[in-house]
Amino acid sequence: MIHRKPLIAVAFMAPAVAMYLAIIVYPLAQGLVLSGTDSKIGNPGAFVGVSNYVALASDSDVMRALGITVAYAVVVVIVQNAVGLSLARALYIRPRVRQLGSTLILVPTLMSAVMAAFVWNSLLAPDGAINSLLESLGLSSLAHVWLGDPSTALWAIALVNIWMFSGYSAAIFLAGYMNMSSELLDASSVDGAAGWRRFVSIEWPLLAPATTVAVTLSLIGSLKVFELPFVMTNGGPAGSTTTLTMLIFAKIFGGQGSFAYGATIAVLLLVVVVLFAGVTQSLLRRREERI
Amino acid sequence: MANTTISEPDMANTTISESDMANTTIKAAPTAFRAQRRAGGRRVRRGPLSRIGDVILAITVILISAPFAYTVVTSLRPASDVINDPLGWPTSLTVDNIANAYSKMNYTQGLLSSTIVLAGTMILTIVVGSLAAYPLARISRSWTTWVYRIFIAGSTVPIFVLIAPLYLFLRDLGLLNSYAGVILTYTAINLPVAIFFYTSFFRQIPIELEEAAAIDGSGPVRTFFVVLFPLLRPVTATLATFLTLSVWNDLIVPLVFVQDPSLKTVMVNAYSLVGSYTLDPSLLFPAALLGVAPLLIVFAFLQRYIVSGLTMGAVKS
Repeated sequence: MIHRKPLIAVAFMAPAVAMYLAIIVYPLAQGLVLSGTDSKIGNPGAFVGVSNYVALASDSDVMRALGITVAYAVVVVIVQNAVGLSLARALYIRPRVRQLGSTLILVPTLMSAVMAAFVWNSLLAPDGAINSLLESLGLSSLAHVWLGDPSTALWAIALVNIWMFSGYSAAIFLAGYMNMSSELLDASSVDGAAGWRRFVSIEWPLLAPATTVAVTLSLIGSLKVFELPFVMTNGGPAGSTTTLTMLIFAKIFGGQGSFAYGATIAVLLLVVVVLFAGVTQSLLRRREERI
Repeated sequence: MANTTISEPDMANTTISESDMANTTIKAAPTAFRAQRRAGGRRVRRGPLSRIGDVILAITVILISAPFAYTVVTSLRPASDVINDPLGWPTSLTVDNIANAYSKMNYTQGLLSSTIVLAGTMILTIVVGSLAAYPLARISRSWTTWVYRIFIAGSTVPIFVLIAPLYLFLRDLGLLNSYAGVILTYTAINLPVAIFFYTSFFRQIPIELEEAAAIDGSGPVRTFFVVLFPLLRPVTATLATFLTLSVWNDLIVPLVFVQDPSLKTVMVNAYSLVGSYTLDPSLLFPAALLGVAPLLIVFAFLQRYIVSGLTMGAVKS
C-alpha cells in the first residue's frame, strides 16, 4: 500500500537515489567541470574555459583513437551479430543439440577479458598455436606476427572480442526465436515457406526486439572496450590499438596525471556512446514498431 | 540521454494472477525452451543442405569452445612439453603449473578480496535496488517516471567517463584503497540494471497481496520484507548471476581504486602476471583457469539463470 504513503515511498528510494547521485551523477557533473580546468594530479587547477576541447579537436592522437574506436565497434557489431544470429538459427532448428550447443558457446562469455587476453596472446604469438597450425597445414606463408603488426593488431583484438561474445549474441537471438509463436511458424511452413525465404519474411522481422538488444549491447560494449587492448597490446604497436578508453586511462594514470584532459576525452567518449547507441536504438525501435 | 541499453516497460500497472507469474519475461526463456524443445525439430525438413548446416554448426561450436579446451589441456602439460610442441597431444599430465600460478597470482588472497567485493556489492545492490523499485513500480506519477528514467539512463554511461572525477571524489572521502569504495562504485553502476529488473517484476505482482497484508495490519516496511521480497526470488537469482559475471570479471575498478596488495582482486592479481611472463602459457593458462573456475562452479548449479540473466529484455513480454 506504498502508493498511499508518499513519505514512505521516498524513504524506500532514498538509499538508491543517494548512492546514484553521489557515485554517478555528481562525478558526471564534476567531469564536465574538470574538463574546463587544467587540473593535474595533486593540483586542483584553474578554470581554462574550452581550451581543452580546442586542444582535443587538433590532437591527432585523440582523433586517431576516435577513428580506431569507431572502426573497431562497427566491425565487431556486424560480425559478432551475424555469427550470433547464424548460430542461434542453427541451434533453433536442431532441438536435440540446442542445449549442449548453447552451453558450449557461452563459455567464452563467462571468461573475463583478462583471461581471454591471456589465452589469445599465447595463441597469436609468433611461435604460438595459430602460426604452428598454419605451418602444419602447409600455409606458413600466412603465418604472421598478429599482435606486433600495426595493420593486424586491432583486428586480432576484434577477433577475440567476437570470439568472446558471439555466443552471447546467439543467446539473445535464441531467446527471440524461443519467443516466436509456433502457430505462425507452422502456418508459414504449411504455406511452403522454408529456408532462406522463411528466414527473411518471418523470422527476421519477428526477431526485431532481440536484434535491438543484441546490436545495442554489442555496440556499447565495443565502444567502451578496454581490457582486451590493455592486456593484449597495451595500445601498441605504434598506437594502432589505442582506443578512446585506453587514451583516457593513459592520460590520467599513465604518469602525466592529466585529470582535466582525461576528463575531456571522457566527455568525447560519452558523446560518442550516447550518439551512436541513441541513433542505432531509435532506428531499431522504429523498425520494431513498423513490423 | 535516452534510455539505450534496456527497454522501458509500459508504466501501466498490470494485474496478473499468481499462476501467470511463471510465464513472465524473467522465466520466459527456460519455460519456452522446454515447451518447444521437442516441437522445434519437426518443422524443418532435413535435406542435403541441412547436413552441410550440421557440419558448419559443429565446426563453429568447436572453434568457439576449442580455446577453452586447449587452455585446460595446456595447463595440465609439463612446461617443457608445451615449449617443444605447443599444439601436441599430452603425453604426461601435471598439476605443477596450476600450483605455480596459484602462488604467483596470490590466489587465496585474491579469492578472498573478490568474494568480499562481490558479496558486498550483491547484498547492497539487491536490497537498495529492490527497495527503490517497489515505489517506482507502484506509483504512476510523473515524478516517479522521471526518477526511473534517470536511473535507466545511467546504464549507458561507461565507467571511463566517470573515472577521473570519481577517483578524486573517492580520494577526498578517504575511500580509495578500501572495499567500501569499490563496493559503492559497483553498486551504483549496477543500480540501473537492478531497478530495471525489479521494477518490471513488481508490476507483475498483484496489488491485492499488499492490500491483504495491510488489512492484516502490516505496514509498508513489513509488507515489503515479509510478503514481497521473498516473491522476488527468481529475479534476484537472475540479477545475482548478472552481478557475479560483471563484478568478478571486472579489472578497471579495482585496478584504479585499489593499490593496497592485500585488497587486490583475482583479476588484478592475474593482470599483474602480465609483463615479465606475458606469453608463457604454462603460467598464464592455469591463471586463466583459476580466474574463471569459481564462476564455472557457481554456474554449473545456476545454469538456467545464466541465459535468462544474459538475455533479460531481449523479448517483449
